[in-house]
Amino acid sequence: MSKTDDSDLVERCMNGDRQAFELLLIKYEKPVFNAAFRMLHSSEDARDVTQTVFLKVYENLDKYDPAYRFFSWIYRIAMNESINCLSKQHRAESSEVEPESVEGSLEQAISGDQLRAGLQLALMRIKPEYRVVIVLKHFLDCSYIEIGEILEISEKTVKSRLYTGRQLLKDALTQSGMN
Amino acid sequence: MTIAQHIVYLINADIDGEISIVEKRELEAILASDGEALAFHSELFKLCEAMDSAEAVTPPTYLKHTILEMTAAKRPRSKSPVSRHRFFSAPAIRFAGAFAAGVVLALGFLSSDMVFRNSFDDITGLVGTMTDRGADLAAKNSIYLNRSDINGSVSIYRSGQMLIVEFDLSSQVPIDIVAVFPGEDVWFNGFAQLESSGTSVAAERGRVTVHTEGKRRYAVYLHDAASTETTIDLRFIAAGNVIHEAQLVSDESI
Repeated sequence: MSKTDDSDLVERCMNGDRQAFELLLIKYEKPVFNAAFRMLHSSEDARDVTQTVFLKVYENLDKYDPAYRFFSWIYRIAMNESINCLSKQHRAESSEVEPESVEGSLEQAISGDQLRAGLQLALMRIKPEYRVVIVLKHFLDCSYIEIGEILEISEKTVKSRLYTGRQLLKDALTQSGMN
Repeated sequence: MTIAQHIVYLINADIDGEISIVEKRELEAILASDGEALAFHSELFKLCEAMDSAEAVTPPTYLKHTILEMTAAKRPRSKSPVSRHRFFSAPAIRFAGAFAAGVVLALGFLSSDMVFRNSFDDITGLVGTMTDRGADLAAKNSIYLNRSDINGSVSIYRSGQMLIVEFDLSSQVPIDIVAVFPGEDVWFNGFAQLESSGTSVAAERGRVTVHTEGKRRYAVYLHDAASTETTIDLRFIAAGNVIHEAQLVSDESI
């Protein structure tokens, strides 16, 4: 994710270069859609969120601060829009699990394929604030520092949420019979 | 399982590759002597590996096009909105030069962007009028009907990424014609009445339904993003019964 390249494209966009916007779209459409899908577990909602994200990006390019990396900005919008979408549909309220830890082991006879199949459902059972960090870390391959920049939280908070989120995810998988 | 928070921290940091050399040594010593910590490390590693190796979900092919059109329409300083600009700069201009103002307006309303944004609303009644498509495009595939209740032809033309399905029909009874196409790559992009009015159209993903009665000539415009050979299934329905079925096949875009 090159800061300079993206900054150049943003500048060109602001000067009315449609091709530059198309290049940004080509570069970020898939990760934004993928992140939204992991947050929402719905292709339709992910599509709507992706549309909204790029629309907001396009309309607010003048508000983008080139001192920060472009992907931080667009991923932040993507995560906020995904959470807005969850709030609207009240999915968050009905599907969360309480953050109490459940005893159990994932080790026993779970193949990688089984685990991957159950992961998305388990992901939907943890609170969005933890899900966001997990999505950024594992599905968008962001570092602690990058996650902190995207969510505007400290690195310490990133670690705390990530580690707790993983434990909750592990518990959700255990509860769903993946052990 | 009760593992000290500090060990949980070290294990997570190790899996993420964000552990210092000193911490790594400390963790190795713990794992060598603590079976519970070792098991936790193994489970967490497996979980993280499964997430890291999960296949990325691919967005639908039309999404990029839809976003480009949406943003063009939203940008007031853009001198030529993409939908219109693309439409007229495409090879289709060769036969579309004589479009009446009405069809421009209609296609604006009926753009795929609007259809997608509004979750495939029924757009019945939003139609325009236009002149002939011109004689320089040859039909790639036509079907002919010669029945007591409906007769005439339906033909398909291609110009770049645009597919034009032209209906030239005369029906004795009200008939719904349902055109079904692969919705991921092909989407509705406009409708025009060529010689007569009174035909209505409804579009949703992968399907356009035209309601027709009497002698009518009209065209349905489809955008074909993949530009590959496309098959369109046609069903002619009268009084709720399928009275005829046919298939149109477009060629590949060159």
